[in-house]
Order: sequence, then structure tokens, then C-alpha cells
Amino acid sequence: MTEVSIEKLTKDYGQGPAVNSISIRIAEGEFISLLGPSGCGKTTTLKMIAGFEDATEGAIRFDGRDVVHVPVEKRDIGMVFQNYALFPHMTVEKNLAFGLEMRKLPKGEIRTRIAKVLDMVQLTGYSERYPRQLSGGQQQRVALARALVIEPKILLLDEPLANLDAKLREEMRVFIRDLQRRVGITTVYVTHDQAEAMTMSDRVVVMFGGRIAQIGTPSDIYERPANLEVAEFVGQVNIIRGKVGNRVVSTAFGDVPVSGDFADGAELMLALRPEAVELLPINSGSTGAPAKVLSSYYSGSLVDYRLELATGAVVNVQTFPRTRFADGEQVLVHAPSDRFWPLGTVA
Amino acid sequence: MIVPPRKRFGPLLLIAPAAILLGVFLVLPYLNIVVMSFRMPGQGTPYGPGFTLGNYGKFFSDFFYIQQVINTLWIGFLTTFICLVLGYPVAWQLARGASTFRALGYALVLSPLLVGIVIRSYGWTILLGNNGIINRTLTGWGLIDGPLPLMYNALGIIIALVHVFLPFMILPIMSAIQGIDPSLEAAARSLGASKVTSFRRITLPLSLPGIQAGCILVFVLSLSAYVTPSLIGGLRVKTMAVTVVDALIDTFQWPFGSALALMLSVTGAIFVVIFGRLTVMKWKA
Repeated sequence: MTEVSIEKLTKDYGQGPAVNSISIRIAEGEFISLLGPSGCGKTTTLKMIAGFEDATEGAIRFDGRDVVHVPVEKRDIGMVFQNYALFPHMTVEKNLAFGLEMRKLPKGEIRTRIAKVLDMVQLTGYSERYPRQLSGGQQQRVALARALVIEPKILLLDEPLANLDAKLREEMRVFIRDLQRRVGITTVYVTHDQAEAMTMSDRVVVMFGGRIAQIGTPSDIYERPANLEVAEFVGQVNIIRGKVGNRVVSTAFGDVPVSGDFADGAELMLALRPEAVELLPINSGSTGAPAKVLSSYYSGSLVDYRLELATGAVVNVQTFPRTRFADGEQVLVHAPSDRFWPLGTVA
Repeated sequence: MIVPPRKRFGPLLLIAPAAILLGVFLVLPYLNIVVMSFRMPGQGTPYGPGFTLGNYGKFFSDFFYIQQVINTLWIGFLTTFICLVLGYPVAWQLARGASTFRALGYALVLSPLLVGIVIRSYGWTILLGNNGIINRTLTGWGLIDGPLPLMYNALGIIIALVHVFLPFMILPIMSAIQGIDPSLEAAARSLGASKVTSFRRITLPLSLPGIQAGCILVFVLSLSAYVTPSLIGGLRVKTMAVTVVDALIDTFQWPFGSALALMLSVTGAIFVVIFGRLTVMKWKA
């Protein structure tokens, strides 16, 4: 098991930094996701950890040893590529043996390890197949097996599920996460899919424009986003504005107490997730702000509503479809004050 | 399954123009050559009455002709091999190198084909002749006493053939290498292979279809080359193509010339088939 430490890592291709002085400490056996839109520097960061890109500045340490000048083939990494990158002219067995042959392991040992890893990815009996004879999900598992069979220090995955269909993608999330836990290998996972990052990771690193916007557990990132950009990138969010006065923000939902240093009179942005809002019938006698249903979208397990508040602000709400409200109906909206999260003052 | 008639004939209509062209201008003349090779030699006519195996008998009984086939095959092998060795690095560079020089590279690769065949061969005589630039320069520097035999021999023919057939080796290999996903090499590196090992175990075997196509093209073209061997080989070295034309035009032996042409085609085809068998790729669907 290996601890990875990235210190002030920078990559500059000559047109300004693609990765700008980022630092991450990855604990032994931890599963970390680099999450961000395309061009945010997450793939460049992964390539620097792997050794495919030279770092312009900064250090990458595996268990304290700086590997910046170690070539890819000596770094002892296992990598899974977006398109799997299985060798098309080799059978599954030969693909799996490749890394072991490079390590000059004896033939018997190679056979044992391949049998073990094939069992681990549930592909026993497929060793004589060529990659083109396998389905997308099977190819994906061979790619994982090939990366793991060499027992590398760290496992790097570059958007490995992007080419799979939705159902298989969800299965593979669970599969990869379970496998990673069983093997206990330190893992860096690059994705632009926030659901993937949230469900799989111990911690998520959110990146924008070559910088780290936030590092935290999935619930940190979702419930306590560092800024507006993070809040909007990770799931849906309503931005509620209100003036601060006496440590309380007055909003269309009523007064919300805030902790933190905000001057009286400042206009504050609060994040409110759609599922944190409750919808009640207008005549229920409960407290809440009146609102009108603009439209609703039923998706089976959930209903998404677009509502207009008395102030004219539009709010998205997600509820279970137990009670349905019609378009144009008047309702009451209510959100517990602890579900608001301050994102900072309006610039 | 019932196929609507329009659908059934659709593909046929698509290939019909090319099929007719090939049929009229290649298959029919070829059949004519096959028939011609069994005709009796004529006296003042292209062929005489009746059929015979004598034309083939003459070929197999005279070692001169067999030797010529062997010489032609050797020239073909060497031209192909040299084209492969010289062409592969160029193909790799064009496929994987910086894009800035790619357009220039294409132009340079194709340049031999842009020059007319007679002018090109004449250019080689200026360079390779006894009084040519290479020999005069080397003599002038005192490196050699007399002129090196660069022309009117197999060496000269091979040099000139390599020059003109190099594009036919480079282009298919280049396109094969372009079709190899670069992440395969990255994957090999991540598994512990050096750049050289990754080339040897991944890129090279995956570019084999291009190597195969390029080798067959250059080999076949070399065997059938006529103008270059006749201008640069002169009277001393003759390839089969030259001998066939001599038999047809100079000595007016159409049946025997046809037999010679077919023997060249058959031996060439045999080697192409053997080469194809040796380089069969099991992993390709």
C-alpha cells in the first residue's frame, strides 16, 4: 500500500498553466476522484502521476520518494484507459501476462496470478478470447485485471466508464469500488461525472481551470460546497439570495441563521438543494412561503417541480411522488434552516 | 429470407462499372494470353494453326529463362526488402511525428511518382553512369581509381526501383500505424515496457497489415517493371518483363512470349500467396 503526495504540481504547455500548483495527499488505500469539466486539468494531473507528462514544477511522492524523474515503466503504476487500450493482437491471457513478463516473473507464477485475477473479475474461461470477441463490460474488466495483476503501487483510472451504456456503467461503479476495497490499493479516478465521483470515492477533488476548488468527502462536496461553481457542478442547486442582518439572512423562505463572518447589510448567496425543500398543500396550516407550480417532471421514483415564489424567483424542488401537485396550483414551500449553505456574498 | 429484387441487384449495380472495365481490359486479354501461350509458333503470322505445349517446354528446357525468372525474383525480393527497411521509419515518422512537417513529408514521399518514368530513369543514368556524377565525384576525390559499376547491372535496377516504389511501401504502413490507437503504446509503457519493447511487441505487430500490403505491392510492381530495367539494365541485365517484350515485339514470338509472361505471373503469385500465409494475422476478424 502506497501513500501518494502531490505538492505544488504545475503543468504549463506554454499558454498558461493547465495545472496550477495543486497539492493533494492521498492516504494508503484511499479512493480519490479528480472531478471537473473537460479542460480543468484532471487528466493532465493523472498523466503526470502516471509519468506520461512531465511536471513543469512540483513534486509527486510515492511513499515519500519523489518520482517526477522516474519514467512511466519504472513507476509501478496500474492504469485503466478510457477506451480500455487492450492489445487487439493478444488474447486475454497474453494481455494479462504482458506486465508480468516485463517484470520477468517465472512462467508458473504468471499462470497462477492470471488465474487469480481472472477469478477476481469473474472472467474465468475467457483467457483464450481476443478483445474483439468480448463485450464492452468484459473488455473493461480485462483492462482492470491487466492493471491489477502486476500488483502496482497505485491504480489510475482515466474515465473508464465513459464508453459504457447507463445500466452497465452503474454496475461497473459498484464492481470497481468493491474490487478496490478488496485489494486495498490506493486509487486515483478521473471523471467528469459527478454521480460517479460521489458514489465511488472516499474523497473528491473538484477542479476548475487547473486549480483545486475543493477537496472533501462526497457529502462535504454536496452539502457544504466551497463556492458557487462547486455547488452548481455537483448536482442541482437553487441559489437563494438575502440580506444579512444580525447573523440572520432574510430570504423568501423566511429568516435563516448563518454562522460565519458576514457584515450586516451584505447580500448573501445560499445554496439550497432541490430535495431539501418540502412541498405542502396551501391549506395545510403549516408555515412556509406561498408558491405556484410552473411545471413538473415525473421520473418514476421522483418528481421535479419548477415553482415560482411570490418574489418572482424560480425554485427547483425534488420530491417523492406520494402527493402530486398540478401545474398552476398554489402550494407552500418550506426548507429547514439547516439545509441552507452560505456560498459567499454577491459580488 | 425473402429479399426484394431491387435490393438484390443493388450491390451488383454498384460494382458493375468497375467489373466491366476489369473484365474487358484485364480478364479478357489475360484469357487471350493463356490461350495464346498454347498456340503453335507462326511464320510471319502471330501464331500458326493448332495447339502445343512446346512453348512451355522451351521455357523449362532452357536454363537461360529459368535463370532470368530467378534473377527477376531476386531483384523483386531485394527491392521489397530495401523499401521496407528504408520506408518503415519514414512511415512511422509521418504517422506519429509532429504535424508541422507532415504536408512536406507527404509531398517528398510522393515526389518520385510525380516525375515521368523516362525522365526519372534518364536522371539515374546521369547519376549512376560511368561518367555520371557519383563516379566523377569519387574519382575526383581520389577515393576510387576507375568508375564503379553502378549501372547496367542489377544494383542500378534495384536503386532505381527502390526510389520509385518507396511510396507504395510507405503509404500503406503509414496508414496502418495511424490506425493504431496511441493509448496501446501508453498501456504497454504503464505495464513496464520500455519504448523499444513497446514498439517491438505492440506497434510493429499491429502495423503488420500495412507491411503486408506494402511488400506485396512493391514486390509485384518490381517483377512487372519494364521501363526502368530496360533503360538502366541496358542489354546486359534483363528482367523477365524485358525478355517478354523482346519476345513479343523484337522476335515476334507471340505464343512463346505469352508463355514467358504467364510463367512470370505464376511464380510471382506463388510467392505472394506464400508471403500471405506466413504473415496471416489470427487476431483479425
